[in-house]
Amino acid sequence: MPETEPVRTYGATTREKLLTQAPYASEDRQKEEELLPIIREQLKTARRNNRQIDDFFTKQGIDIETIQKPEDVPYIPVQMFKHFDLRTCPEQEIVKVLQSSGTTGGIPSRIPLDKATTINQIKALKSILSEYLGKNRKIFLVIDHEGINSPKLAFSARTAGVRGLSIYAKKTFYLLKEEEGKLSLNMPVIRDIVENYSHEDVYAFGFTYIIWTVFYEQLKKEGIQFTFDNFTLFHGGGWKKMQDLAVSKETFSDTIAEVFGTRPDRILDFYGMAEQTGIIFVDCEQGNKHVPCFSQVIIRDLFTLEPCDIGKTGLIEVMSVLADSYYDQAVLTEDLGVQIGVDDCPCGRKGRYFRFVSRVEKAELRGCGDTFRESR
Amino acid sequence: MWGYVPGVSLMITCYLKEGEFEENQYQDFEEIVRSVNICREALAAMPLDAIIKILDALGKNVLKKPEINTLPGVSYISLWLRRENLDRICKVNYSDKRYLDGFCKNETNVLMMAQPRGIVCHWIAANMPTLGFFSIVQAVLSKNGSMVKMPKEYVPLILSILRELPAISAEYEGTTYSGKTVLAAIAVVTFEGRSTGVSEKFSLAADCRIIFGGSEAVRAISHLPCRDHCETIIFGPKYSFAVFDRDYIESDGFKKALDAFVKDVAVFNQMACSSPHVLFLEKSRYPHETVVSWMSDAFERLPAALLNQEISSGLSANIINARARYLLSDGKNCVAPRDLGWTILIDRDVGLEEPIQGKCIFTKEIDTVDEIIPLVNHKIQAVSIGILDPKKREAFARQVTSRGADRIVVPGTMHDFILPWDGIMTLNRLVRWVILRNNPGSQV
Repeated sequence: MPETEPVRTYGATTREKLLTQAPYASEDRQKEEELLPIIREQLKTARRNNRQIDDFFTKQGIDIETIQKPEDVPYIPVQMFKHFDLRTCPEQEIVKVLQSSGTTGGIPSRIPLDKATTINQIKALKSILSEYLGKNRKIFLVIDHEGINSPKLAFSARTAGVRGLSIYAKKTFYLLKEEEGKLSLNMPVIRDIVENYSHEDVYAFGFTYIIWTVFYEQLKKEGIQFTFDNFTLFHGGGWKKMQDLAVSKETFSDTIAEVFGTRPDRILDFYGMAEQTGIIFVDCEQGNKHVPCFSQVIIRDLFTLEPCDIGKTGLIEVMSVLADSYYDQAVLTEDLGVQIGVDDCPCGRKGRYFRFVSRVEKAELRGCGDTFRESR
Repeated sequence: MWGYVPGVSLMITCYLKEGEFEENQYQDFEEIVRSVNICREALAAMPLDAIIKILDALGKNVLKKPEINTLPGVSYISLWLRRENLDRICKVNYSDKRYLDGFCKNETNVLMMAQPRGIVCHWIAANMPTLGFFSIVQAVLSKNGSMVKMPKEYVPLILSILRELPAISAEYEGTTYSGKTVLAAIAVVTFEGRSTGVSEKFSLAADCRIIFGGSEAVRAISHLPCRDHCETIIFGPKYSFAVFDRDYIESDGFKKALDAFVKDVAVFNQMACSSPHVLFLEKSRYPHETVVSWMSDAFERLPAALLNQEISSGLSANIINARARYLLSDGKNCVAPRDLGWTILIDRDVGLEEPIQGKCIFTKEIDTVDEIIPLVNHKIQAVSIGILDPKKREAFARQVTSRGADRIVVPGTMHDFILPWDGIMTLNRLVRWVILRNNPGSQV
């Protein structure tokens, strides 16, 4: 490993350009041509700075120069963030290690961030949100309690959402409070919003399951309804529990739109993960999730691991050029999705578009084949 | 998990009763029990040799039917049902087949007979499509009636085999016996195992319970109430592995043995208790990597049906994670194709590994096979050994079986269903040994 990292000049201009241009303006092929040279350079740096990543490539006999398509970029499963240091820059450049609590296994993911990566992530998120919110800052309502943003608590998908989306906030309000581990309506704040901010531009964020089971349920009991002039809700996560409750995305959107006095197409489900902060895949008015220009999504077949044909469900792989500090270039998730199309969504956004299907079901040993451990 | 669960169906679906292949719903087992109890009397009255002849003919018939013989595991069923094999199984279990047909003399002062227990209730696990059939045949060979609870997805396969029985007849000592008699003593059902009420009724119907399954299922079922006389035979959670010594690896036939071994890995997509998960390789003149490359070739030679078995999304994620873990770890490696057809995980940690399934085999280089002995416990079912020296072989086998292993086999035979299985002589447990003492003074 070299003592000092050579100045990273790879694709800097191109990446800067990608972060400032309209995020959904490039066609898929053009986007790939722009992303691949950046990714190749990032992979070379990753190999230089991380022996385990270097081994990962060597053991598979991968020559970075021969990578011609996004699907050839070696993906790292998202679980590996729990078990390995996937830093790709010199250690001294790390300014923060984000620890995501995650939803499975109890071991947090560790995501090392340097200054450049953090800035890129903010720029990327601004670029994406501007597509849905315009350019101006707005009133930001968090459908969660204030503690969720406390630096003392482990970083979770909820925290990531609040922090990420707050970049558009001119003022932030938390609509729930937590008492003895239970969430309930933060009534003084809600009254304040209803009385003073109904005519302002407002956007909100919340965890889908919490919005439905806590926020909506309690508002209904209290008979509270908002009447915003201009309102957008971003929500994500907890769809497995929502499926258990037999609440479809459509039902959720219609019901919650009514609560806020807005249209169902302003209730925007998004897909994202702490391991790829800065990028969220937001529903368009057609219900499709779009891939911004600094990112790519591949749906991989569950057995062949090759990219799936359009319409076939597979594992979602997310790619990005944002991170210089960790292996973010190709991360294979444990989520299932389906690619709906390329460049031709009626909403006008270019590039690939997909839908989230479900989390991967936890595999359990079936039948009489079992662990070797004796039970006592 | 095993309590009243809202939304869980309390209905019993019966697919086969009194020889009729009709799907019917029941609230309880009373009618099914009644019919099996009546029909099993006729089965018990058949000579065991006639039953064996019918089963032998069944094996031959299914092999002739292209709509059945291409189904997974059916060709093995056909082999297993050969008369010589069934005779052997009965001999090993009963010592003499005649005990099943009446009182016989033995070395003691009394006459002995093996009476069927009555109704055997089978809980069939979801890992092997043909498992239910093997369980049924064992109940038939002990002249018991059967009520078989099996996973719904395997019902069509088992019924398609059993459908051949009515057309079969066998001559024995001047009498013709029909496969219909055998079939009539079998009922096939499905119901929600989570429904405690239905499971209890099923358990209480049994004179003998055969339980196949993982830890949780076995524990839950064996705790269900049953009649005082009920015998419970448990084929519980087990783990299997393989070990090859230096001479074996360096022998001429080794590559062929690897072909046989990877078949053991691939059959049932590594979900059976007899599926190996780890292969220990004693150091030899061939580097570990060379043996692994031969094994890769062997995997590639597997028939497409074994290579491309369907896997769940969860299993897919588990395999992908294991591969990445080994590729990122120091001192470990992974050799695998681009798809999830098979995976060889390589390291030098001497230990057993949690199964992944889906043809993921851990290979580990060891200094001597003796290093493996302390790893063996009562969870170990089959150990496939490649040890050529007979003395070394037997010494190794004695040690690992004394520590808990049940079956010491050779590559390619890990799944051969030979009794004893899991240390159990099943047929012997499926009968009651009864005696008839002669009148005083009469000759035995």
